Amino acid sequence: MENFEDLKILVEQWSHQGIEYLQKIPPTQLYAAIGVLLFTTLLLLSIRLVRRTKSNTVLLSGLTGSGKTVLFYQLRDGSSHQGTVTSMEPNEGTFVFHTENTKKGKIKPVHLVDVPGHSRLRPKLEEFLPQAAAIVFVVDALEFLPNCRAASEYLYDILTNGNVVKKKTPVLLCCNKTDKLTAHTKEFIRKQMEKEIEKLRASRSAVSTADIANDFTIGIEGEVFSFSHCRNKITVAEASGLTGETEQIQDFIREYIKP
Amino acid sequence: MLEQLLIFTRGGLILWTCKEIGNALKGSPIDTLIRSCLLEERSGDVSFNYDAHGAAYTLKWTFHNDLGLVFVAVYQRILHLLYVDDLLSLVKQSFAEIYDPKRMAYDDFDETFRQLRKEAESRAEELRKTKQVGKPLGNVKKQGQVSKSGLEGGNKRISESGGSKKDDGDGNKAKVGNLTNGHSNGNHQMEDDSQTSDLANGKENTTDNVALDLSKLQKLRSKGVRGRGGIRKADSIGNKGSKVTAAEPAKKATKKNRVWDDAAPKQEKLDFTDSVDENGNNDHVDIVAADQGESMMDKEEVFSSDSESEDDDEPGSDEKPEAKKKGWFSSVFQSITGKANLERTDLEPALKALKERLMTKNVAEEIAGKLCESVEASLEGKKLASFTRISSTVQGAMEDALVRILTPRRSIDILRDVHAAKEQRRPYVVVFVGVNGVGKSTNLAKVAYWLLQHNVSVMMAACDTFRSGAVEQLRTHARRLQIPIFEKGYEKDPAVVAKEAIQEATRNGSDVVLVDTAGRMQDNEPLMRALSKLINLNNPDLVLFVGEALVGNDAVDQLSKFNQKLSDLSPTGNRSLIDGILLTKFDTIDDKVGAALSMVYISGAPVMFVGCGQSYTDLKKLNVKSIVKTLLK
Repeated sequence: MENFEDLKILVEQWSHQGIEYLQKIPPTQLYAAIGVLLFTTLLLLSIRLVRRTKSNTVLLSGLTGSGKTVLFYQLRDGSSHQGTVTSMEPNEGTFVFHTENTKKGKIKPVHLVDVPGHSRLRPKLEEFLPQAAAIVFVVDALEFLPNCRAASEYLYDILTNGNVVKKKTPVLLCCNKTDKLTAHTKEFIRKQMEKEIEKLRASRSAVSTADIANDFTIGIEGEVFSFSHCRNKITVAEASGLTGETEQIQDFIREYIKP
Repeated sequence: MLEQLLIFTRGGLILWTCKEIGNALKGSPIDTLIRSCLLEERSGDVSFNYDAHGAAYTLKWTFHNDLGLVFVAVYQRILHLLYVDDLLSLVKQSFAEIYDPKRMAYDDFDETFRQLRKEAESRAEELRKTKQVGKPLGNVKKQGQVSKSGLEGGNKRISESGGSKKDDGDGNKAKVGNLTNGHSNGNHQMEDDSQTSDLANGKENTTDNVALDLSKLQKLRSKGVRGRGGIRKADSIGNKGSKVTAAEPAKKATKKNRVWDDAAPKQEKLDFTDSVDENGNNDHVDIVAADQGESMMDKEEVFSSDSESEDDDEPGSDEKPEAKKKGWFSSVFQSITGKANLERTDLEPALKALKERLMTKNVAEEIAGKLCESVEASLEGKKLASFTRISSTVQGAMEDALVRILTPRRSIDILRDVHAAKEQRRPYVVVFVGVNGVGKSTNLAKVAYWLLQHNVSVMMAACDTFRSGAVEQLRTHARRLQIPIFEKGYEKDPAVVAKEAIQEATRNGSDVVLVDTAGRMQDNEPLMRALSKLINLNNPDLVLFVGEALVGNDAVDQLSKFNQKLSDLSPTGNRSLIDGILLTKFDTIDDKVGAALSMVYISGAPVMFVGCGQSYTDLKKLNVKSIVKTLLK
């Protein structure tokens, strides 16, 4: 008990000393210090609020060899330069589209990220998904059938990702390489993907409820899967990376990131 | 002549190609290089060979890690160009000077490249001339000591390979070859070393050397090889002759029993199978495997998330005083401000510590070395970010590399494949292969249990017709799980049994056929041939290599030899290799999980299942993140 009393006395002494010290400082300095403190806190709060407004990140994803890097450079520079090889790292850039360069006025730039499609680099996509405002899923329309299963599995993983479902990120299914004669039409590709995803849905949900592979399931129970069942909007478009036909992609992106 | 030289970014954009050399490359060697070498963490290799579409190229590469550029040179394999490495480094230096992230076209580099190439070629010419001058001098010196150097070469071989555990099989053969043929042989190979050794050893009694060699050879032979099948290997070299002749007459009569030792072969039939009637009902009591609960495949992996901040204080103990070139203060200062560029000498101590740590976790030594080289190649020349130490950068790079290796290259969704096969109205065939005693039959039963829980109809095929009791073991499992089993008893050709099993499965509509095979050593030629016959005849959908997690350096040998034999002995165009790995006995290792890494690295096949116990539910998926964390702890 005595120790407690001693402690109390010590604490009182310190508080007295502190108050005396404070009173010694001239008032202007004190007010200045408080003012700076308030200002910085307000600044930080406002920055945090401002950041909550929509991000302008668009992801370019798809299987390896579907033409994402070519599309990236087409959108940015209007040409794919001397060609591309399999990407080992993501390509990022914040820019205004090449075709929009001529337009006058201040246009909001787009933060475009080209994520490598190689299966070993799949974890990189998950890093970027939280910040994505829209996703462009590029599919090779020329070599579609051999890769159909892999492409639909990739798309299924994206559509069932927690971030995508919660934020209802819109997805554009872009059929690339449509300048070639033997490329499939976008309707065909859409139907095939829907069929494959339907099969995936059946086999993945057959695996018990504790399947950790996918966070959510998509589509409506009992009905054949269709892209219109998803809560986030999924559209289909055509493009050609080599010839620079990227109109539909640009329209899609600009729909969600207002210039 | 150089076929092509490319410069591209790590993001995939080609910045410059050599325009003088007009020929387009056949096939797509660059893409194959990236997919099968650089992304597989083999960037520490010296070169990469590309054989396809009628072209045989060799590719060499170098990185500029700071700017994120890759320089690749392609040339025909038959030409041995010596100046390529030199040229690549010169190109790297000069290109780094003119590189600008905003610029996409570098046409002015053509001129520079032409000059650099001339310079590199001339340098190589000079080097070759000096080598040729040096050689005749060396030969004259050696004349007097031909015989001695041959034997000393043999001696050195023995002492070298006595130490290494791995290539003992090869070492044995090489020793025998050296002593019997090799005076000239030893001369050639030991040219460089024996020059110094001759001077060092001086005059030694040649007879003493011979006696020493022979006794050492015998000692090593009797000691055998550490790891699986020790004595067997040494004896099998001798007995191979007898085995081959024994197999020949067997084709006419029934197969003779396999003889492992020199013991006299017993004549009685060793088949103790009980007489069983049609339904397979036995007199013995059968306990039907009641539902034992969910297989661990479907349970969520719950592991305590330890603090993510790696124990940053601990690496201090790794950086022992050996490598302290700079004082403590300057290193702290540099870690705050960020160093200019990482050099090999800076990375070495951290990488060495990391390699040793990996080896204590039971990663094969060769694999750990290659991984460290690959990480070194990807970090050299990079700028250290501020407030980071070298060790943490290296650790981060290694973690990335490990995650990349262990992430499967293709989807391992077996149920999806089973459904696909079901649509085509054929059974999905899985073959379990592996060395002796790794747990094939046990894990086959576990996989069957898991499949049954997902409403897939399974059938077992007992193609282990060699080991006594193997068929009974599978029969018991089948009865407990209540699934059909196809068996033909012992002493039958496994390939034929498997074929008939698959036909039976198509008839009675089973979705999956699980084929059990006998365990075999990877060096055993006739057994490997039998295995590849089974695989080629039946064309399974999945060849699962069963390996135990307790294996050490031998994992590398096992997997590479299995893969090699399967591809060598298969008809062209139909090369089916190992598609997946089943890691067993995972519960017996606490945190020495390195075998998983060695196996995946050397074969490229993903780990599909992990067996972690001896009951039906002990089968789970590989959790990549937890393994990486355990490896780097």
